[in-house]
Amino acid sequence: MKLYKKEGNIIHILSFPNETVEKGDYLLVEDSEAAKALIVQVIDVQFANVPGVFEELLRSMPDGGDLMQGEDFDPLEIAPHITYIQDASLVVCKIRATVENDSLSSTSSWLPSRSRSTIKKLPLPVLLKLANIEGKLPIVLGGTKDSSLLTIDASSLDGGLNIITGKKETGKSHLSKLLMVNLMQYKATVVVFDLNGEYLSLGMTSDGKRNGYYDKIHVLTPSQNFKVAVKQLNLHVLLGMLIHALHLPGTSAREFRRIWQSLKERDALTLRELGETIRNWQCNQQVRDALFSRYHSLVNSGFFTDNLAEATVIEEFLFKTKEQGGTVVINLRNTSAIDRQLVVEYVLGKLVELLTSWKLKAIFLFAEEAHLYLRETYWDDIVTRMRHFGIFTTFITNQPDTIRENIYRQADNIFLFNFTNEHDLDVVSRAARVDAETVRSIARDLPPHYCLALGKVVRDFPIVAKVKALDVKTMGETRLFFKDTN
Amino acid sequence: MHPQTLQLRTQPILLKPRHEESMVAAVDTSTIKIGETSAGMLIAVRGANVWRQNRNYRYMRFGPFIFHLTEENKNDVYAVLQRACFETPRGDSHGSFPNILQMPMRMASLLERWLQAMLSRTISRGQILFDGSLTSGTGDAPTSLIREILANARKRNTVVLAFSKMTNLRVNGQLITDLSFEHKPPYLLEAIGMRPKPPMILLGDVFVAKLTKGSYAFRLDIDREVAVEQKIEAVEKLLGNDLVSQSYPETLRLAHILCTFTANEVIAMQHFVTRRCGLRLVNRPDMHKLLFGPFGRGEYCS
Repeated sequence: MKLYKKEGNIIHILSFPNETVEKGDYLLVEDSEAAKALIVQVIDVQFANVPGVFEELLRSMPDGGDLMQGEDFDPLEIAPHITYIQDASLVVCKIRATVENDSLSSTSSWLPSRSRSTIKKLPLPVLLKLANIEGKLPIVLGGTKDSSLLTIDASSLDGGLNIITGKKETGKSHLSKLLMVNLMQYKATVVVFDLNGEYLSLGMTSDGKRNGYYDKIHVLTPSQNFKVAVKQLNLHVLLGMLIHALHLPGTSAREFRRIWQSLKERDALTLRELGETIRNWQCNQQVRDALFSRYHSLVNSGFFTDNLAEATVIEEFLFKTKEQGGTVVINLRNTSAIDRQLVVEYVLGKLVELLTSWKLKAIFLFAEEAHLYLRETYWDDIVTRMRHFGIFTTFITNQPDTIRENIYRQADNIFLFNFTNEHDLDVVSRAARVDAETVRSIARDLPPHYCLALGKVVRDFPIVAKVKALDVKTMGETRLFFKDTN
Repeated sequence: MHPQTLQLRTQPILLKPRHEESMVAAVDTSTIKIGETSAGMLIAVRGANVWRQNRNYRYMRFGPFIFHLTEENKNDVYAVLQRACFETPRGDSHGSFPNILQMPMRMASLLERWLQAMLSRTISRGQILFDGSLTSGTGDAPTSLIREILANARKRNTVVLAFSKMTNLRVNGQLITDLSFEHKPPYLLEAIGMRPKPPMILLGDVFVAKLTKGSYAFRLDIDREVAVEQKIEAVEKLLGNDLVSQSYPETLRLAHILCTFTANEVIAMQHFVTRRCGLRLVNRPDMHKLLFGPFGRGEYCS
């Protein structure tokens, strides 16, 4: 390989057919005299612009498009040299770092010698070691192309905002499960908003037996084993639900606050009493109607109860995970859109309450297709305010444009699976920790279950890995009509 | 050539394509300078035979042959090759060897004559197309050799047709291929009164061939020893058995395309000589560019 051109932080390398280089590979451009080396990553492999190739191709098929039959008497065997030159490729690389005295820096301001520089493949294990990616709390993400393991540090997920995105059926949920179980192993508390019931069997092996995480997985299904007693509710949590999930106007909310205070003073905080009080409350008829319709929504959700015995105290489950780690799965499958928002509002409100009072240290929140239940204002809350409280969110989506641009800009880590749609790639490439060329070029060619890890977890060295298989019962399978006939 | 004596017959020979099966074969060679070494220069030569049979084109390509020519070895290289091609030396009429700058063309001509000789001994009842004219007596076209090639072809009832892409023959100051006539192609116009300067000899009769509609016409030399009817029949068989566009036969066009070197091939050959033969190519500065900058390589620069 020969160094050909450098433009900004893009390097062009001339490569010959016997030197196999693929997208995603890392190369070391070493200038021994300067005692420095550039670490570059291949983002595209093109045909070298060899003069005369067009004529060569035209000449090979002049007979109406078919190959012309003939014999070549080539005693010096020049033909392999012609093919060798014709198949030369131009490797487009992005500069990732400079190595000087065994330490890395992100500078790309120096120019290695074109004539002296040697270019060789940089094995991923060497890169991982140089960049110190593994850390003290290793999570094996999967295998890389050169059969080494990509191990990330769990602490690089700590305090961060992560996005897992890719086309349908490329392995997003699988990766999120892998991250969850590893975080649990490091005694972390994980909360999942499970839209499709994919995480319900996280505690089971693929053949239906209990696995090592069984006791650490707590599945809460709203209106079944997850009900809230009105008495246990905090007013501002309930108001949050009424205003944000049920769109209660401000005037009505003020009236509701007075009703709540009155019930509390009378120690009559029950669903039945709440209904009665609204009915008899002296106020504007429209306000009463507004309050009544929201009251019926609360009742119909089945999420609220007056029976303390059947009420679930979410704190209990969260506290259980405090010592040994664990996952609380909020099962939102078969829950209507309104009820889903009620539950999410309640859980988030509760989490903020527990975190602000330091009853919980921090939690890792996994949110699948969050646009289906997260209200507009929560997006900013999650990346700014809630992050400071200790809610470290991982968004999982197959529609990257449902996540706002400012979320991408602040994302610390992105796990990108295959995307072919230009628009989707455009959206993801807005992330601050990644360059558009890398996303467009590499993500487009990722096979299923291969993920491009970007951000802090890989110390900003984008790495492609095949996500490790996990012995967990799959629940996210799509229901098929023709399944039995095949 | 004595241009003042040259005339074109006004009466055209009108042609009708003859579709009876007849082989059309063509020969062409090319040469290129690959680079310079401290001792001399590296050249490559390649030749191609193309023939059309059963409506398909087939080819046989020879080369590239790479030669490292120096002032010291050029005569030996040329002599050895000449012997290898024709057993007995076919020195030009002056018996001298070409200078080093003429060597690439002469080497290519040597290969071309060898390929022409091969075809003349193998093709029966067909047409062999040459690139150029049937003028002999020049360094690269020894009369005895051209006569032998034509005679061998005649023995096998094959006619040699030589197409020149460029000609200097003029009538009334105009190139013979530029003259416009009102006839409907395909037709031939015979040129008469040509008297080449000795030692050059014309071994063919010269025609202006306008084989298709459009503005293209070529000088066509046809073996002089062949009867007029046979000459016409040969061109008509060419029209009936080969694709002809822009008045030029496809077989000859393919022969040219197949032997021409592309830039890619030149790079490959440079790669070959440096890797396999350990030769070091020297980049000599272009003195014209160096001295005259953008005026260094004008189109009319001598």
